[in-house]
Amino acid sequence: MKFIIFLITLISFVNADQYTFLLNKYDKELELEAKIISNIATASIKGEIKLYIPEISSIENDIYSKFFILTNSCEDANFIFIKRNVDLDFYCKNNNSKLFFTNNYEKLLNNDRYLGAFFWNKSRPNITFIKARLEKQKIELSKDYDKFVEDF
Amino acid sequence: MRKILFTKNPIYLIFIALFISIVFSLLLYGTIKLEKNITQKMIEISTFDVISIANNNASSIEKSLQTSTRAYSKELEVNPKLRAKIEENLSLLLTSNIKYAYLIYKDARGIFRFLADGAKENEKAFLNQKFDIDNSRWLEVFETKKPLVLEHSYSQELSITYLVPILKNNEVELILAIDFSIKKIEEINKIINWIQYTIITIIFIVIGFLILLLIQTFKYLAIKKSAYTDKLTGVFNRNYLQETENSINLNEYILATLDIDYFKAVNDTYGHDIGDKILSQTAQIITSTVRINEDIIIRYGGEEFIILAKINRNDNLSALNVIERIFKNIQNTQFYINNQEFINVTVSIGVNLVPHKSRSFSDAFKLADLALYDAKSKGRNNIEIYDEIKNKNSESTLSINEIKDAIEKKQVVCFYQEIIDAKTQEISHYEALLRIIDKNGNIVLPEQILPIIKGTFILRNITKAILKICYKKLQERKDIKINLNLNPKDIIDNSILQLLKNFALEDNISSRLGLEIVESEDLINCKEAKDNLLMLKSLGYKIFIDDFGSGYSNFIYLTEIKSDYIKIDGNIISKILEDKISFLLVKSIIDFAKEADIKVIALYVNSKEIFELIKLLGVDYAQGYYFSTPQEIKV
Repeated sequence: MKFIIFLITLISFVNADQYTFLLNKYDKELELEAKIISNIATASIKGEIKLYIPEISSIENDIYSKFFILTNSCEDANFIFIKRNVDLDFYCKNNNSKLFFTNNYEKLLNNDRYLGAFFWNKSRPNITFIKARLEKQKIELSKDYDKFVEDF
Repeated sequence: MRKILFTKNPIYLIFIALFISIVFSLLLYGTIKLEKNITQKMIEISTFDVISIANNNASSIEKSLQTSTRAYSKELEVNPKLRAKIEENLSLLLTSNIKYAYLIYKDARGIFRFLADGAKENEKAFLNQKFDIDNSRWLEVFETKKPLVLEHSYSQELSITYLVPILKNNEVELILAIDFSIKKIEEINKIINWIQYTIITIIFIVIGFLILLLIQTFKYLAIKKSAYTDKLTGVFNRNYLQETENSINLNEYILATLDIDYFKAVNDTYGHDIGDKILSQTAQIITSTVRINEDIIIRYGGEEFIILAKINRNDNLSALNVIERIFKNIQNTQFYINNQEFINVTVSIGVNLVPHKSRSFSDAFKLADLALYDAKSKGRNNIEIYDEIKNKNSESTLSINEIKDAIEKKQVVCFYQEIIDAKTQEISHYEALLRIIDKNGNIVLPEQILPIIKGTFILRNITKAILKICYKKLQERKDIKINLNLNPKDIIDNSILQLLKNFALEDNISSRLGLEIVESEDLINCKEAKDNLLMLKSLGYKIFIDDFGSGYSNFIYLTEIKSDYIKIDGNIISKILEDKISFLLVKSIIDFAKEADIKVIALYVNSKEIFELIKLLGVDYAQGYYFSTPQEIKV
């Protein structure tokens, strides 16, 4: 009997890679995204970070709450991450003192309110900050972020 | 012993478990290694065509830029037409397996930027858009200036990236990147998994078969052991001997045959259950006396055992000591037949100290049996060692082949000893006694012939030869009667019976031919033999019970066989003058025979005193050296 259990254990280890179906793929990706956003926000803001994601999903809420204090409105937050195709002015009108981040490179180029973007490019995570906007917000990132800063 | 080791000493189990673990680890390591190699090979095969196309594409881009004096990145930046053409070519590479194809360069800050992208319009990267590489190995291409394959272990979308450097002045200016989707690797994984499951299934089947084989082997060994073990005594049986006799190294052993004295008397007196108990206890004494894992004990049949005692460093004495200890231990043991009563049992042992000098186990055994025969004839309860010199010089012992040759070359002859009528002192019968004239002209006696051919077909042939000689003699001499000796097996042998039936067809032959049979347990227990004896009697043959009183003496037996004559054992007759028991025994046999109307012949009548005494007791006939030695019949 012990011999059979030993065999089953061995086979289980051999096929361990097959068990990824037990995890939600999106969860892993989302967790990675939350971690990166947390790093970016920590680098950009000194002090407590209060994150607001408009139209946040429940799963996003679960995962992001592990890294941030989440708020329900733009007014209560100091870091806003726009993930969906929403009207920024609708949620955060005249809140220019706050830091805005997007997950769309094109939006970053077209809207000056965004400080930077975190997005997936060719299935790889990409981060871009706009130098002029960082300076305008008087944000100084550490040298580690130099390669992500674009000087347009 | 083996059982004790496995249950009491778990270290063996640890070794077995360790061995199985190592075998499994090796199998798993082999499977993983094989899987890796197959994956690598399959990736190579499945990406080979794309890689070739990508290389051609890179060459074509390089060619189209070769004429430019500017840096390639600058040239493409200012030449939208060329860029569009390259993007069109790159878009042709995209399939369900190839997710992205793009051209990038590294700027002065070391940041990678897009120059051309084969993706659809809405997914296309902007010109000079920053591209964050996910693996520092991208930089290797700038050092090696050779294409590079990168595997994505953790990506959910990409499996492999193929990078082709485009050089200018032997420096990497651009990189053509091809990203393979996870689909490609998924297809390969499917095949790999299939192979993996097949291998695991095969391993399981093989292991299953091995376990089955192991179980069957253990079962076979258990059955074999049971087939080779005598159930009553627990020692090896004759099957074992038949199986191993050719593989026993006779150089390593001395060979002894042991026979329980008067065992038939024990059986007859106390019953077969006690007989079995005696046999079992004797075997126990032998087993506890011999050296474990060195000496071999075999129950050869009935009350006869074979002991192969191992010789240590060419020292026969230690092996002989074992035999002597067995002899003494049996002698000193009280064999309880019930809670109060016990009997003492003795054994006769014949030892062959040099079995390696024989050509086969069978020959070596026959010599030990010869010694046993000697031990018995010297009164039993002793150990007799086979004396090679005595047997060779005095009686010229023959081999089986020599005996066979002697029969064929008609060297088998009969010497005849007179049987005298005690009243008239005239010759009544002759007993035909076997002799072989060997190649040197020596006369070989039955003691040197019969033990060697015991249990072989040659014994039957020699009986037939004697029968024919006697028949011829009876034809030549119409005035004499001849007795010849038959052994119990002859009585149930069809060819011998047929010969006797044929002789009986002639007048005046069967009435003059007496058949002497040594009383034996085999004969009384065999209905066929008894029936055949009665049939021979009906043909006119007279039945003589030979050596009566020597072993299986049983008066009921006489009435069952309805013998015409009994010949009292010579050993009893020879002691009749000084031993009262022998005297009383002879007297009671004669008295019984008279009552039963059976004629009595006394053997070994070697002196006048013996003859006078037996005559007084009422013996009908006498045979012995007092009258004549075995010789040719005088005309």
